[in-house]
Amino acid sequence: MYRLGLKMLFADRAKYIMLLSGMAFAALLMTQQGGVFVGIIEWTKGNLKNMRAPIWVVDPKVEQVNEVKPMRDTDVSRVRSIPGVAWAVPMYWGILQARLVDGTFKPIQLVGLDNATMVGRPTKMIEGRVEDLRIPNAVIIDDLTVKRLSVGRAKPLGMGDTFEMNDKEARIVGICQTEKSFFGYPYIFSTYEQALQFAPRTRKMLSYILASPAEGWTADQAAQQIREKTGLGAYTEEAFGESTVKWFFKNTGIPISFMTTIILGFIVGVAVAGQTFYSFILENLRHFGALKAMGASDGLITRMVLLQAFTVGIIGYGIGLGLSVFIGWKFIQMGQPPFALPYQLPLGSFVAVLLICTFASLLGIRQVRKLEPAVVFRG
Amino acid sequence: MNGLDRVIHVRGVTKTFGKGDAAVHALKGVDFDARGGELLMIVGPSGCGKTTLLSVIAGTLGFDSGEVEVFGHSLHTMSQKQLTAFRAGHIGFIFQSFNLIPTLSVLENVTVPLLINGVGLKEAEDRARAMLEKVNIGKRGDERPTNLSGGQQQRVAIARALIHEPRLIICDEPTSALDKDTGQRVMELLSSVARGPGRCVIVVTHDNRIFNFADRMTEMDDGRVQRVHENPSKSMAGH
Repeated sequence: MYRLGLKMLFADRAKYIMLLSGMAFAALLMTQQGGVFVGIIEWTKGNLKNMRAPIWVVDPKVEQVNEVKPMRDTDVSRVRSIPGVAWAVPMYWGILQARLVDGTFKPIQLVGLDNATMVGRPTKMIEGRVEDLRIPNAVIIDDLTVKRLSVGRAKPLGMGDTFEMNDKEARIVGICQTEKSFFGYPYIFSTYEQALQFAPRTRKMLSYILASPAEGWTADQAAQQIREKTGLGAYTEEAFGESTVKWFFKNTGIPISFMTTIILGFIVGVAVAGQTFYSFILENLRHFGALKAMGASDGLITRMVLLQAFTVGIIGYGIGLGLSVFIGWKFIQMGQPPFALPYQLPLGSFVAVLLICTFASLLGIRQVRKLEPAVVFRG
Repeated sequence: MNGLDRVIHVRGVTKTFGKGDAAVHALKGVDFDARGGELLMIVGPSGCGKTTLLSVIAGTLGFDSGEVEVFGHSLHTMSQKQLTAFRAGHIGFIFQSFNLIPTLSVLENVTVPLLINGVGLKEAEDRARAMLEKVNIGKRGDERPTNLSGGQQQRVAIARALIHEPRLIICDEPTSALDKDTGQRVMELLSSVARGPGRCVIVVTHDNRIFNFADRMTEMDDGRVQRVHENPSKSMAGH
């Protein structure tokens, strides 16, 4: 009987295609928009992924990694003196303008690493060595910088080439690969001292202090010690990531706007699939009545209807997910907008599609169950 | 009537639709009997209660009072679940508008009662093919019912009604959607394949062109059985 139920569904081409489209569109909207949202959230943590350190020490008012309130240089020594801290190094991070050969400027993110330890160094070098940053005016640029700053050049920027930042010449000694960040600007790495030369001078220049827990201390314990003893803000890498995400949830309209789209996707799915499926059931009500008269139980017919709804839902979900993955893959190839697809997202959208199927079939099932089999004798 | 012959036994059945001023008393204490092996017609004017009586006998409609016994099963004591199982096992239906599922093939339509009864697909299809041959429509099994003429569709409906070898065949206006010749051929087929010892065929009709196929006629009017009589043109001995 279930096979016949599915044949009834597939044979009604127009309704079947309409149902599939509704489900696929809902799944696409929920997964794709969810993917872009997760991608943006991942981008907000770009600095944490590109400059790795167990503990991040910041001004106490700083809540997220893309926000800088400079500290005094002496704060590095204060942190070093805290029990539970193995080492602590200064880091500069700021947005500067790099000058292109055609005279135009492009914003970049300048990172100044501790000269001695190079803590927070690029995680993946494509060319060159991080240690060469100690050469005067040396910088390591990321692949996005190559793309952005090569505009107007005969050949792309490469090893040994120079460009200007704040009227000072920078020489490329390495090329690295980085994760995209929320601002979407390319990363340029130099030493801390060199970065202070490139950046416009201000009273305080220390953006972050990167630290590590001493042996026998966890990063959490060491961060707590730093907070208590210095009054500075201190986060483990993971906690700083969470705090950053929370900040974006609290202070920007990004989550609400994406959630609205995702909820709309769900509602559209419920409306289109529900209406189409209900009309499919109504059109077949007489046949369901005949089946009931012939001895098909309410349970059997309910299972047939559920099978029809879930079959169309699962196929539609597959199409929607496939389209989302394809669009996401294209986004990633293009470099923007951001896109990420953790397993929770397709899983969540699958559950949502199952809910849509349930809503869509419940109305129809109610009609079928209250249908008297004697209806088939009424002309 | 010999008590052993009596396969359907209806006593004092009443059925009212609606309430208060809008109440319609469709059955007003109906007494009715049918014998094994006969083709019995229930006739009467529109609104006299014949389809309601048929629905009650078929177990598809509840009734307010009275007793209904079909092949020894007391329908008035059965739960909905038991009634459903009873219909699946013991009753074949032939409807006025055929009620074939248009999105299924002819063969698949015929397999439905067997599948409801839990018969496997392969066996159901084999038996459906044999039954379609029996009603002379074996070559159209893979077609959609909508590609068939009215007479052919009713043949498919007959095949579907008989496929699970029910003891009671319920026919609701089986010829009213057909022209005279097609109606005659359908009734000939119904008489030849549906009738059998231990089986009963009840036909509700107002089509007087097929009255000659009845062994007995039950005339209804105003929610009551008015008269039951043997068909003078037929003899029960001839069956």
